[in-house]
Amino acid sequence: MKRGDQRRDRGSVRSSFILAGLILSLAAIPVSYAADANVQVHLNTNKTGPRAVEPLTERGILRDYRFAWASMAQALQFNTLDPLEGPFQGDAKQWLRQTIMSQRESSLSRRYADQSHQLEAVFYAPEGDVIELHDTAQYQVQILDGNKIIQDQHIVMHYVVLMTPGADRWVVRQLQAVPQF
Amino acid sequence: MKMRRLLQICVVVTIAVSCVGACVAQDFRVPDSATAGEETAISTSGGGKGTFYLLGPGVARKNDVTLGEEIKLSSQDTRTAGAYTVILCSDSCHSAVFFVNAAKPTSLTFLAHPSRVPVAQGDAVSGVAFPFDQYHNLVLAPATVNFQITAKDSSLWSRAVRAENGVAWFRTASGKSAGLVQLTATLDDLLTRRAVQQVASDACNLRIMGERTRTGITVQTEPVHDCAGNVLPDGTIVTFTSIGPHGRGTVDAPIKQGVARAQMEAEGATTISAASGVVLGNEIRIEARP
Repeated sequence: MKRGDQRRDRGSVRSSFILAGLILSLAAIPVSYAADANVQVHLNTNKTGPRAVEPLTERGILRDYRFAWASMAQALQFNTLDPLEGPFQGDAKQWLRQTIMSQRESSLSRRYADQSHQLEAVFYAPEGDVIELHDTAQYQVQILDGNKIIQDQHIVMHYVVLMTPGADRWVVRQLQAVPQF
Repeated sequence: MKMRRLLQICVVVTIAVSCVGACVAQDFRVPDSATAGEETAISTSGGGKGTFYLLGPGVARKNDVTLGEEIKLSSQDTRTAGAYTVILCSDSCHSAVFFVNAAKPTSLTFLAHPSRVPVAQGDAVSGVAFPFDQYHNLVLAPATVNFQITAKDSSLWSRAVRAENGVAWFRTASGKSAGLVQLTATLDDLLTRRAVQQVASDACNLRIMGERTRTGITVQTEPVHDCAGNVLPDGTIVTFTSIGPHGRGTVDAPIKQGVARAQMEAEGATTISAASGVVLGNEIRIEARP
């Protein structure tokens, strides 16, 4: 092999490393953002009562509900409790924690993808301290036993959701799947 | 050639024999619906061994099972209402979903507002009630919640509200008398209480009187009431304003036992008025010291 070829090879190896490093860093930084961006949420407040939902409140609920689902998906995929801190409180947080502990024990995990949520606010308390939402959610969910996918299915599910305002965000307190509204 | 044929037959027979244990087609049946915290079962058919998975809110379980036998789900497995996915794998995996509904209500979460309210204010008091079962699942089954406002064991107001989507609420005016009132939400034998302090509203007919003393002028209000006759609470501020030959002066005085008092320094003829909140009282004129 000529000396020039060797130099070219070293150069291409170096650039490959740089490229790989860039890809890795790009992939690592926006994990939460990417997960969040994959969750589509639409909110209908036309039939809400007795209190009307102000546009700023609507935006806050959309943002925080999207974040809650992105966090839940992350927690259930990697069996980690940290993502639940913040977006969930009360009973919703408790059963999610139990689910993750249980998944860890059984080496199971769930992977959510292509989430779409059609939210309808059905009740907003007179003093604005609790809102009830109906969520018609669609997503692809894979259930894994270790690394083996045992189920990969497109799901349409109905959820009754209670959210309350916290210090700086809306938190999910109740997330209960029902057969229909 | 014969040897090869014999080998092929052996392979086929071996596969067939091993399939007797594991390849019998499996089928299972999940409950149409279940109630939180109650035992239920999943019936299976077929034969051989399989792996059973149960994934739901608060549970992710994996067990080896014998096909054809019933799989029991304990009350612990189904405590949380929601959707449960059952997966049964032997030669292949099959899945089904069933729902667990909340059990009967055992607690009533009652949010009442505000904790302190002026009397005779329209739509000033509101309450929201959510029924929950013993496992903290929201009970969505129709139910009637009775709201009541009482003061000293006498009912001031009551209303029966049909809970929709697991929530019942009311809004009403505050009562006419200052004092502590109780708000109760009742569902069957469940009762939750909240207390609301009703306080006097704005002052009504604020009247003052005054007299000159050696050091200045002493002014005080008559007992300050709202328009419904409730004495304004201690600490409510009354502002006295004096206008005299030396200019204008103001003194804030808190009401104590219904009356606000102030000592003002003023030489010469002085006009004094009083105000509490947005309410203005009468004016009095104190003549100069003779």
